[in-house]
Amino acid sequence: MNSNFSCKTCQSADQSLENFISGLSVETSHHRVEGQSVKCGFGLQGICCRLCSNGPCRITPNGQKGICGATADTIVARNFLRAVAAGSGCYIHVIENTALMLKKTAQTKGLLKGKNTLKKLADIFGIQETDQYLCAEKVADAVLSDLYKPDYVKMELVEKLAYAPRYKRWMELDILPGGAKSEVFAGVVKTSTNLNSDPVNMYLNCLKLGISTGLYGLTLTNLLNDVLLGEPAIRLAPVGLRVINPDYINIMITGHQHSIFTYLQERLTDKDVIEKAQKAGAKGFKLVGCTCVGQDLQLRGQHYQEVFDGHAGNNFTSEAILATGGIDAVLSEFNCTLPGIEPICDELLIKQICLDDVAKKANAELKPFVFEKREEQVEEILDAITESYINRRSKVEINLQPEHGNNDTLTGVSETSLKDFLGGSWKPLIDLIVSGDIKGIAGVVGCSSLTAGGHDVLTVDLVKELISKDILVLSAGCSSGGLENVGLMSPSAASLAGPKLRAICEKLKIPPVLNFGPCLAIGRLELVATELAESLGIDIPQLPLVLSAPQWLEEQALADGAFGLALGLPLHLGLPPFVTGSSLAVEVFTENMKELTGGQLIIDDNAKQAADTLEGIILAKRQGLNI
Amino acid sequence: MKILVIGASAAGISAIKSMREMDQDAQITMISKEKNIHSRCMLHHCLSGHRSQESIDFAGSNFCADQSVNWLKGVAVAGIDPQKKMVMLEDGQKLTFDKLLIATGAAYFIPPVPGLREAKNVFGFRDLADVKKIDALLKADSRVVIIGSGLVGMDVASALNERGIKNTVVEMMPNILPMQLDQPSARVYQTLFEKNGSDFLLSEKVVELKLDENKIGTSLMLESGKSLEADLVIVAAGVRPQTDFLEGSGIVCDRGIVVDDKMQTSQPDIYAAGDVTGLSGIWPNAMKQGRVAAQNILGQAVSYEDRYAIKNTINFYGCPTLSLGKISPDEDTKVCLQEDRNTYQKILIKNQMIEGLILQGNLDHVGFWQELIKNKVVVDEDTVFDIKYSDFYAVNEKNGSFEVAI
Amino acid sequence: MKRIMIDREKCDGCLNCTIACISAHQEGSNFYTADLTGKTADSRNKIYFKEKEGYFPIFCRHCDEPECVMSCMSGALSKDSISGLVNYDADKCGSCLMCVMNCPYGVMKPDQTNTKMIKCDFCQDLTEGPSCVKACPKEAITVQEV
Ligand SMILES: Cc1cc2nc3c(=O)[nH]c(=O)nc-3n(C[C@H](O)[C@H](O)[C@H](O)COP(=O)(O)OP(=O)(O)OC[C@H]3O[C@@H](n4cnc5c(N)ncnc54)[C@H](O)[C@@H]3O)c2cc1C
Ligand code: SF4
Repeated sequence: MNSNFSCKTCQSADQSLENFISGLSVETSHHRVEGQSVKCGFGLQGICCRLCSNGPCRITPNGQKGICGATADTIVARNFLRAVAAGSGCYIHVIENTALMLKKTAQTKGLLKGKNTLKKLADIFGIQETDQYLCAEKVADAVLSDLYKPDYVKMELVEKLAYAPRYKRWMELDILPGGAKSEVFAGVVKTSTNLNSDPVNMYLNCLKLGISTGLYGLTLTNLLNDVLLGEPAIRLAPVGLRVINPDYINIMITGHQHSIFTYLQERLTDKDVIEKAQKAGAKGFKLVGCTCVGQDLQLRGQHYQEVFDGHAGNNFTSEAILATGGIDAVLSEFNCTLPGIEPICDELLIKQICLDDVAKKANAELKPFVFEKREEQVEEILDAITESYINRRSKVEINLQPEHGNNDTLTGVSETSLKDFLGGSWKPLIDLIVSGDIKGIAGVVGCSSLTAGGHDVLTVDLVKELISKDILVLSAGCSSGGLENVGLMSPSAASLAGPKLRAICEKLKIPPVLNFGPCLAIGRLELVATELAESLGIDIPQLPLVLSAPQWLEEQALADGAFGLALGLPLHLGLPPFVTGSSLAVEVFTENMKELTGGQLIIDDNAKQAADTLEGIILAKRQGLNI
Repeated sequence: MKILVIGASAAGISAIKSMREMDQDAQITMISKEKNIHSRCMLHHCLSGHRSQESIDFAGSNFCADQSVNWLKGVAVAGIDPQKKMVMLEDGQKLTFDKLLIATGAAYFIPPVPGLREAKNVFGFRDLADVKKIDALLKADSRVVIIGSGLVGMDVASALNERGIKNTVVEMMPNILPMQLDQPSARVYQTLFEKNGSDFLLSEKVVELKLDENKIGTSLMLESGKSLEADLVIVAAGVRPQTDFLEGSGIVCDRGIVVDDKMQTSQPDIYAAGDVTGLSGIWPNAMKQGRVAAQNILGQAVSYEDRYAIKNTINFYGCPTLSLGKISPDEDTKVCLQEDRNTYQKILIKNQMIEGLILQGNLDHVGFWQELIKNKVVVDEDTVFDIKYSDFYAVNEKNGSFEVAI
Repeated sequence: MKRIMIDREKCDGCLNCTIACISAHQEGSNFYTADLTGKTADSRNKIYFKEKEGYFPIFCRHCDEPECVMSCMSGALSKDSISGLVNYDADKCGSCLMCVMNCPYGVMKPDQTNTKMIKCDFCQDLTEGPSCVKACPKEAITVQEV
């Protein structure tokens, strides 16, 4: 016997991470997979209902309906819409906070780093204002006023943000969203006990939530963050556990709300703060990226290279990052902050501070971010973290993994930086697609899960298959955390691509998998799709473009997925989203959706097969365009 | 039919129970040297004081009445005449039989080390009488030396620790339980035993027991030159089949009584089962041999097929271990290891087949492993630790019994 | 004798049988109150899951020739000649674990302290029969005469 927590850990696409985790003496999610290996079939199929005290009712041969009369179709639809509503709520929370931050920053004449984006937004919104602060405030207000509308008042920016043919289709389907916060409310009400029982009505409602989630929660969050924190710039950056530098006081950040760290980030380069660290025996403070907010920092890393060490890993790498012992504090503000980090933080004396009470961790200190008090708050936070550093470093064993990850992950890709890279126009990319050098584009997004083969396993396998078929992969979300750590976002990964894609990548010195950063950047992929469709004069569903969330994890991913389907894109998932107990649900998602929006759902946990299917769809779309 | 069974332990009792399932009328007589039916595997619980003599009677107090058995207890068999179909007892009685089952088990062996065999305070540990003799001599401050750290030796050590009596275990090999465990897994137990009071002298051989004028052993001399004071010496250095009374009977022995597939000896109508055959030295196999012998005695042609005998479980101080097969690797054996804070698992694979294994710390649902060894199942070394019974799951559709689909 | 027959195709892995078994062996507990994490949270049944192949419900067979009984050195395990059930008497048990080693189907396991065995008792003290069977919503396990 040794000190390892358990020898049963799940597989990981990243072998060195898998080895590291299996040798840990602390428990991680990877250890818990074994104990949860038997899944309830009713749950998997979505046919267990707990909405009333007659339940839980499950659909069985001898009980084909719930006691209330709900059929499998109704139960599945209710469960699904509830999940989408919750997922939407999460992203709407993020955009609300981001817009408030922009507004207050503008009011106090704080630093606005993304002038171009501000101008772009003002143009889209139809705001004419030369003073940057007033302009930013108006932009923020326009967003906030939409978010706060009742559900029976349609949001105004939808038409301005959406691609016109899409907007038209959504109007025809009557799925234009009212105020985004109220829509979450409506979705929750609809699915409560003995209310809506019409599955089709509920699935259309999901699409509506998808639109508000996508345009506001995703697209706008990115753009407002760009205004506040600076626009992404393409560069090569280090990733993986190697980024942790023990000479510094290391702060791991988790969540999705980059703007909350605006002030903190700026302070870390100030002389007095560095001196504070030096007095404690360190060279300074560093932020270590984890989960999507880490991806966001990485994306904009150009603007604060001195304080950001790099992105260490995604959601299910977070426990391992902490287990290195090199992290002195965790600042969390949103999800993908696993409860599993709590005992690890306790054991390794890592200070946890939550900056938003929606993500309050059981054993963490709660310090909800207050814009007006940001200066004192940051001082208090830095003091607490310094104290943690002083207290723990002599007591805790440090087990760094300097070999893990790589130094040449291409990052900073956005709709703007990519276009600039191509010379200011999409034409070169379109030409490559037309010529067939790039067969098509796949947006591989979403999370990592520990099912579907293990941590990042399906994502990595699928991406390898896709690029070998000359399909260019754009990634956003925790999926990119996995893909970068295994080297697929390094220029050398070109060798894994098909001959044509490889030649392009080698010529441009780029990898065949482009890193758009956090899951929020699915909104950026939508912008790319829209701009491509626009330049070609076609609708989005006609593009040789597919989406895949091979290892979707959470309710938010389902809301993102609903956006993808509303955009009319084919969407692949590794595992079904708890709907297969309803034949109607399966029919709606895999077949009827094609007529409704042009989208379709493909479920397949076999990487090769799924890649073949996606390639088939791309080829069919090419044929539709006569290319 | 007149059936005689010599021996009232695993093999004998199991044979009698099986016979009674099949035949209510046969006249069964059981003869044993011992006066009590008891499970040797629980003798240490008796020595420790946890269990009474009655409570280690594995057959149940009504055994003879329930099974209508005539039991001649406390009398040893002195000889057998296969021609006359007669058994001679040490007290002069002579009994005839139609069928005879010899299940006399094994007796402990005291190595020919000067002093050991003569000393009055040296004991083996095989039956209740041994427990009583040891118990009578033990005092709270006795210094006990146990020679041999096999399962029996460690049983004794655990019992002494329970009673807070100082004991030292002397073992020739570099680790304890050398037949069942490798170094790391043995170390786990050694530490537990040390915490509970035992001392260990490993890689040490006893060369002499110094006796006083009353033939009481006082100190043990070891090959390394060390010496060890002892008030009591318990020898747990192996057992030998009990066949001495067969001399001249014509029943062929070779380390144990030689039997065929039907458990029949070289003489017709005379069968043997259990440790006395030398086929195995463990309880389950003695039970099974007894059952097979019984079936054949009553005319059913059943073969003894489940011969696998290199298997043991160990359970001390809350730490369980399963040891199967060969546990020391050859040059071309692939050793698969997996360990964490609660478990240690080692599987030896040769020619893609499992040769042996040690599973320590958690024995949930491990019963199927020996089937893989017995049936020479081909396994993949990369996934060997993931194997479960469900990989060999099969249900007999008619009666719902499980099978091991190999 | 009666045996719990298993139709593995019907099993949905909900683990109701597991909760039922734990609860049935915790004095006074029910589905709402069963302690599923403590020292007595031991189930006599076990469900394995293999992707693509589905669920593998394992329930004690109360075998015709029970290997566990054959290996029991204390007399704790015995096959009842009338009911056909393999019974376990914890008071007699000597904790040697040989039954765990010898059940060819890996049904047996020790309790969490490794002192007594976790063995299906067919819920003989309940008139309505085995709790696991009663709790199965799919009738994947049923009691039948064999
Ligand atoms: C301390 C100890 C612990 C053990 N622990 C385990 C364990 O955990 N697991 C395991 O599998 N095995 C264990 N064993 C081994 C196991 O006890 C034997 O394999 C088993 O008892 C063999 O049964 P048997 O019926 O063949 O013979 P025995 O049990 O040796 O019984 C022989 C019987 O024959 C009688 N007898 C012998 N000679 C004569 C004669 N001349 N005349 C009349 N009667 C005679 C004896 O009185 C006795 O009744 C242990 C043994 C010991 C000593
Ligand atoms: S525990 Fe195993 S060997 Fe014993 S009766 Fe049950 S299935 Fe058969």
